[in-house]
Amino acid sequence: MNQPALLPFSLLVFLPACVALVIALPIIPRQREDLVRWIALTTTAIVFMLSVWLALPGGVTAGGVGFMLGEPDMQSVIKLPWIQSFGIEYLLGVDGISMPLVVLTTFLSMLSAAASWPITKHVKAYFVLFLLLETGMLGVFMSLDFFLFYVFWEVMLLPMYFLIGIWGGPRREYAAIKFFLYTLVGSVLMLLAILMLYFTSDLKLLSDEQLVAVHAVSPFMDAATIRSLPGPQHTFNLLALAAIGQLPESPFAAAQILGLSLETWAFLLLLIGFAIKVPIVPFHTWLPDAHVEAPTPISMILAGVLLKLGGYGILRICYPICPGAGLSLAWLVCGIGVLSMLYGAFAALAQKDFKRMVAYSSVSHMGYVMLGLGVWSAVAGQEYRWEYWAQGVNGAMFQMIAHGISSAGMFFMVGVLYDRVHHRNLEEFGGIFNRMPVYSGLAVAIFFAGLGLPGMCGFIGEVLVTLSSWNYSRLFASLSAFTVILTAGYILWAIQRVYLGAEYKGPHGEDLVPITRRELAIATPLVALAILFGIYPQGLFNYISPTVNKQCQTLAAWTRDVNDAVRLNGGIIEPQSATQQKTSPILDSAVLQP
Amino acid sequence: MELEQTLPILLGLAWITPLFSFVAILFFGPRMGTHGKNAASVATAAIVCSFVFSLSALLMWIGVHGMSGGSHGSHHVLLTDSQTVLVAGSAQWNLADHQASGSEDASEAVHPAHDADAAGVQPEDAHNLHHSPDSSDSHGAGAHVPISYSGDWYTLFKVGSLELTIGWYIDALTLLMFVVVSLIASCIHIYATGYMHDELHEVIDHEVHLVAGGHLHRPGRFSRFFQSLSLFCFSMFGIVIAGNLAMIFIFWELVGICSWFLIGFYYERKTASNAANKAFILNRVGDFGMLIGLMALWGALGTFRFADSVTMSLDDGKPVVAKGLFNLVRPAENDHQLIVPDGMVKASASGEIAGIMIEHATRPRDGESELKSRISQWRSDGLGSWLLIVAGLGIFCGCVGKSAQVPLHVWLPDAMEGPTPVSALVHSATMVAAGVYLVGRLYPILAPEVLLVIAYIGMITLVIAATIAMVATDIKRVLAYSTISQLGYMMLALGVGGWVAGLFHLITHAFFKSLLFLCSGSVIHACHTNDMRRMGGLAKVMPWTAGAMLIGCLAIIGAGIPFVIGFSGYYSKDAILAQSLSFVQNNPSHQILFLAAAAGASLTAFYMFRLWYMTFAGEPRDHHVAEHAHESPLIMVAPLVVLSFFAVVAGWSFSGEGGLTGLLEQARPAGTSEGASHGLLQVSLMIPAEHESHQGAVHRSATLVAFTTAALGLLAATSLYLWKFVSVELLSRMFGPLVIFLSKSWYFDELYSFLFMKPVLLVSSLASGTDRHAIDRFVDGIAWCARRLAVFDDWIDRFVVDGVVNATAHATWNIGLKMRDFQTGKVRQYVMFIVIGTIALFVLASMLWNSTIAG
Repeated sequence: MNQPALLPFSLLVFLPACVALVIALPIIPRQREDLVRWIALTTTAIVFMLSVWLALPGGVTAGGVGFMLGEPDMQSVIKLPWIQSFGIEYLLGVDGISMPLVVLTTFLSMLSAAASWPITKHVKAYFVLFLLLETGMLGVFMSLDFFLFYVFWEVMLLPMYFLIGIWGGPRREYAAIKFFLYTLVGSVLMLLAILMLYFTSDLKLLSDEQLVAVHAVSPFMDAATIRSLPGPQHTFNLLALAAIGQLPESPFAAAQILGLSLETWAFLLLLIGFAIKVPIVPFHTWLPDAHVEAPTPISMILAGVLLKLGGYGILRICYPICPGAGLSLAWLVCGIGVLSMLYGAFAALAQKDFKRMVAYSSVSHMGYVMLGLGVWSAVAGQEYRWEYWAQGVNGAMFQMIAHGISSAGMFFMVGVLYDRVHHRNLEEFGGIFNRMPVYSGLAVAIFFAGLGLPGMCGFIGEVLVTLSSWNYSRLFASLSAFTVILTAGYILWAIQRVYLGAEYKGPHGEDLVPITRRELAIATPLVALAILFGIYPQGLFNYISPTVNKQCQTLAAWTRDVNDAVRLNGGIIEPQSATQQKTSPILDSAVLQP
Repeated sequence: MELEQTLPILLGLAWITPLFSFVAILFFGPRMGTHGKNAASVATAAIVCSFVFSLSALLMWIGVHGMSGGSHGSHHVLLTDSQTVLVAGSAQWNLADHQASGSEDASEAVHPAHDADAAGVQPEDAHNLHHSPDSSDSHGAGAHVPISYSGDWYTLFKVGSLELTIGWYIDALTLLMFVVVSLIASCIHIYATGYMHDELHEVIDHEVHLVAGGHLHRPGRFSRFFQSLSLFCFSMFGIVIAGNLAMIFIFWELVGICSWFLIGFYYERKTASNAANKAFILNRVGDFGMLIGLMALWGALGTFRFADSVTMSLDDGKPVVAKGLFNLVRPAENDHQLIVPDGMVKASASGEIAGIMIEHATRPRDGESELKSRISQWRSDGLGSWLLIVAGLGIFCGCVGKSAQVPLHVWLPDAMEGPTPVSALVHSATMVAAGVYLVGRLYPILAPEVLLVIAYIGMITLVIAATIAMVATDIKRVLAYSTISQLGYMMLALGVGGWVAGLFHLITHAFFKSLLFLCSGSVIHACHTNDMRRMGGLAKVMPWTAGAMLIGCLAIIGAGIPFVIGFSGYYSKDAILAQSLSFVQNNPSHQILFLAAAAGASLTAFYMFRLWYMTFAGEPRDHHVAEHAHESPLIMVAPLVVLSFFAVVAGWSFSGEGGLTGLLEQARPAGTSEGASHGLLQVSLMIPAEHESHQGAVHRSATLVAFTTAALGLLAATSLYLWKFVSVELLSRMFGPLVIFLSKSWYFDELYSFLFMKPVLLVSSLASGTDRHAIDRFVDGIAWCARRLAVFDDWIDRFVVDGVVNATAHATWNIGLKMRDFQTGKVRQYVMFIVIGTIALFVLASMLWNSTIAG
């Protein structure tokens, strides 16, 4: 079976784990700590370059491995049977939603590896876990098999627990356990949903073309074989599950549990599981503790990548597989998004701990992601204007990447100060600008990116989400617009207390040495990217938009053809309507333009 | 080259040059000459280049379109490589309509208005807003439509038909603003080179007291100052050239952050960084409203472009017109009169639409035609009107923030913490002008109700600020409040329908207010204090500054010989008063608007001359200050002279060819020059056409009122502060509580602290507290319960489960012990046990056999 992507993508995912294994073996003497650091950094750098190479537009280069810009569907799919009795496969692939997140992950892993130099305790173990974590994260973003997804999800959880619990601050054990338990609860709910979906799914419901499109068939198992097998053919294939979920007579919508449809249950369970990760109020309190206790590089990873897994999961899994529930629960997704925005911003305003303040800013910023994902304005005024929803989802995706850059940057900037003066009390800083001018300039720049200043990456995502939300709910839109005041408040206030002022007020003032070259090498790319994406967002949208737009368009058409048809005709669906949707005049945006 | 190709290039260059300067100084600033001395030259060169580009663009424009208003230029469609089309406003499309249909009535309907114009230009109104009748007649092409060019440079985001771009919209207003901003900025850059000289070496900041005692010593930040100034100019030009609202919003925020940098330039001072934060956050409060306005427009109309845009259809190569905001709200088909656009009607009728779509679910095309036929009905029912009003009010909120109108005005006086050149450029001439500019730019889409709100906000602002300025003693704060008050005038003018009047005042004010600020800077530079009570008699030592400031004062109070000639402010303020008068004549219930404007003129004259007398006239009050005072160096005086010149002549019109007002007339929004506009909801509300206020009677009365009130204010100031007929101290004692109330700025800061700051901080600590004390307690509580449960489980294990096991073991052990007794070593006894045991087993086995198997 010719799978040109098999090697490079498997390498991308498993190279860090393999190196972790090598480091773990007693080959390198324990005292050669610098060697371990360099090996880890080199590995992450190689993985980063590999991901960039895979993400570069091409499509024909490297034997069909490069990314095809403008192609909305899954690319470079690799598929090997794994646990055949349950139809579990080693199924990986990337599209416009996952590719930017994969590159973000490898990029931040590289910078975090470089930021891990000050770690001196159990260096070997630290990097073993660190590299395992990278494998877990990449695996989650690329898995197309729900079971595999779950496995990687758990693989990621454990190293994080130890990284916080061993290398963290004074209350590290409390924070680590809190993180672990919260995430585990989410995982359990997710597992429940996975099993519900698995045992309700049936590949036989899909047409032959659909089976090919969702990569359910393989040389060993063509469509005819699937049909000839006795009983329902359950599947973990995410694409197949999505196709089944969007069928006019979706088995997920038909099955009822305790008065609610199965897809509503699945959606809710998955939503809570992912929302814990995002994190969304009120499931967010693990985040400030985890951040405050975690070492700087782990905070960078946590804020930069792990939080994105939640948003990614909602976009990749919740909406396509449970569109009906997504539609009827859009208010919930948007509502908790807006709640998080406001709550996080208010809470950030009250913090005395610099890192805690940044952590709460993450809660607030990730709220935009939820709002953007949820603005199902496909039915605004019963006119199928998918564009506004697509705008929101595009904005949410952009916000995830932008937040990945700015929050990692902010945590790093806090870490730079912490490494010097060993405290984070906002009231005991001041005058840093005059003591460390280059550092302060970069820090203020990255904080402005977090503030959503135009010309920086934070602005684009926020403004797209906010603008798109009006047609969904004017109240939510106004509240999200209100958040910009609070954001300006807490960021500017923090800048004032830390960087401005005449003199430093805290302890260890003599240690405020200028930024080192290593730190500069980490901070500069973050600031540069924050500006680049701020002034050239198209660079990112070229990847994101085709996939997002197609998903929104499909689901908008689904809303009209399936959801509304059911509602209008009392459950009777005209069979031809699903095929007419492509040429339907209502979807033709030109008609709807004012 | 054609104008529509050249102008975007020239203005684009003028716009981008300061950005280059910013980047250059950012990276190499401190290395530019000793202590970054040459950074000033780089920044100045950049802004002068901008000025040259802008001026040549303006001259080219004048070459083609002349300087007089009302010319109906021909419009061109130009296809560029990128398939975007430069569209001249919305004009050519309706021109095409008119030509195609040979619409006679359209031009007829307009002629009376032109006649009225022609009649309105009376010989004695030599200073009148000039309107050349012949040029308007020569074209005779329908209603007045401003000449404009627009297009896009760059796309930020696009999905379907929704598109956010960076583009241009160039009309006479854009060009004028470019020239004014770049000219004033050039003067201020040159001035700042002298003013900021101290920053070239180590600075001792006497306002910062260190904990260990003594003052702060810090390295100079000369280049950093010019770096921010360059970025500011770039941002400001971005607002002016913007072709759509999204771009305005982007540069709006950038201007805000530049202002943050510049107000907080002395960031070691707590007051400065507080003022910077206050300015930015209050601006963000305005932007919150602006975002809502933007969302209301975006959600319903799906475009932010001002002008129509044309793209070539991919199917048949024919141009497809996407209407811009102006044409949507004031469609050419409706003679450019304001209507609620279809999109907004539909957005407000979503319930009805849902019904129709459900009704026609099987035949969507029918549903659409049904929908279309219902729109005009819905519109006349008033659906969507409020959405248009919300959009207008929301965007005006942004302007309230940026232009420091009540209730968001409190940041501007504090912003005086920045260096004086910044106050002159950012906080009087340009950034705060952006709000007024935006109202002017978006004028076509503002509903009359919105305009009424704008007028009232402007009126309130101008009075409140003027009263505070009367008692302020800090020379820069007087000017700050004066700026707020003058911005209020502009808003008032725009609100009552005086589009040209408001923007005319914006431009003249930019000249004389920057002049006044630079003069005050020169005074501060000489005296090292802002406190006017320590000044006095400076005219002798600083004759140039005193003279320039006198010109500025005369300009701002609108001094002139009625009906003959005057300073620039004379013309613009007259126009505002005339329009207010015209408005209140049509809307008698809003008399207060005119009265307040007239009273404001008195107050203006009073506080400005109070300032001048306290500073320059009489005897020195503080000899220490007076001894050290000196005239400023040439590099600071020269800009004063240039600005004085413009403060005098900016309002003049030349040999009937039209001046500023003529140019502004060319940009007048379509549909505002002919006939009045009526309110959408409140039909009795009527915004009169501006040309009516040029009628002899109205204008004469306004001129006389303006002259009289200003003269009264001047007289009062002179008698109190120069002739000293009455002791000021005595008066202050008489009106003690009032003076305190005014000098506390009406207690706005205290009020806001009580109303907003404290509640916000309370809510935030509540949120943080909820996390710690509610959610975390809850989670920890669950964990605690789990642990308790574990302990209980452990106890069960130990005492119940293990207890049973142990008890069993114990029992076994005991049995074993007891059994030991049987072990006697006697063989007979053993044999007996064996026999008994065997019999017992046999009996047992046979019983079991019977009961289970056999039975």
